[in-house]
Amino acid sequence: MLILGITTSTAQVGCAIGGHEGVLASTHSSRGKRHAESLAPSIEFLRRQARVDLAEIGCVAVDVGPGLFTGLRVGIAAGKAIAHAVRIPMIGVASLDLLAFPVRWSPRLIVAAIDARRGELFTATYRQVPGGVQRLRGYQISSPDDLAGDLEATREDVLLVGDGGLRYCDAFADLANVEIGDQAVAYPSAASLVQLAHARALREDFVKPWELEPLYLRRPDAEINWSTRDVLESQG
Amino acid sequence: MNPRDGATLVARTSSVEATQRLAAALASLAQPGDLVVLAGDLGAGKTAFVQGFGRGLGVGEPITSPTFTLVQEYVGRLPVHHVDVYRLGQLSEVIDLGLSELLDDDGVVLIEWGDAILPMLPADLLEVRLTFGVADDDRTVVLRSAGRSWLRRMASLVEAVAPWAGSGSSGAAPC
Repeated sequence: MLILGITTSTAQVGCAIGGHEGVLASTHSSRGKRHAESLAPSIEFLRRQARVDLAEIGCVAVDVGPGLFTGLRVGIAAGKAIAHAVRIPMIGVASLDLLAFPVRWSPRLIVAAIDARRGELFTATYRQVPGGVQRLRGYQISSPDDLAGDLEATREDVLLVGDGGLRYCDAFADLANVEIGDQAVAYPSAASLVQLAHARALREDFVKPWELEPLYLRRPDAEINWSTRDVLESQG
Repeated sequence: MNPRDGATLVARTSSVEATQRLAAALASLAQPGDLVVLAGDLGAGKTAFVQGFGRGLGVGEPITSPTFTLVQEYVGRLPVHHVDVYRLGQLSEVIDLGLSELLDDDGVVLIEWGDAILPMLPADLLEVRLTFGVADDDRTVVLRSAGRSWLRRMASLVEAVAPWAGSGSSGAAPC
């Protein structure tokens, strides 16, 4: 089965097409804030390079975050639209899992951190297992200083990947046990997305397009108090 | 004083144009990362205020209400993100707007009906509350500086709104 993968949870737009024979083609561009403009042309370019018709795609895999919502909504909406149109199922994969997967050969503790903006990071911790990585705890929101404190306390060698580590590298500079991954592992890889989704597709671990949702780490439950607006509307 | 409560200033205008000139005067104080919350009933002039503010920042294209598009962006001396939360029902929907990203963009974020989503907003903000006056086009504009970033600019704010300074009960209260 051929899978189209879309990742837009960071400043980068990435997409890839692949299946059991591996990744046929992938594109990544990180010239920021052009998600809406660049995603559809990227998919079209990819499709031509891979010489694949959209009707041949069997599943759309989407990076569901945690990440930046201006980008996420573009990728998730596009992925759902394609899945609806071609009548195929979807697979959602977390952005942080996509950051950890390409460094799965490291014996160190792998920490993925995405820049959540305004002094916050989305983070998760992983350890190498045969064939991939295993996440040790839930996805978290943390400040760079709090994360630095946690990493120091592990007393283990840590590989820190993702744009969060790069943006706040000063916070980790004094930690002898922490190495920060470079630009090559700063953003979620669309190729990893296709690889991880393929393993799940074999288990038929799909969701329907209307069931796929972005991953919210902090989602307030309350309704907006619209007393002003509703009074006005009842008068109108 | 608790910086979250902030300090208030009162201005009075008697036409849409005057409200826009007041907004343009405030725009001259704008800094990257600023948040301006607009409060007031339908027709009070929230969009008109943003139009004046945008003009003050050198935005050339016409600014229209983002009620249906939720967020509109303009290019001026600083990027302008014009947001309207009127159509939202849940606080969680505010997350989908990506406010953290907009606020981190070194531009100015102006949110119409932003007073309804204060729990979701950072402590540093300027609240502009527009209320109707006696004549049709009279407006009272109450400016509330909350957080250190705006409180530090209080003296400049007083100076900027001086031409429209109101003699209201709360009066100008620079700190």
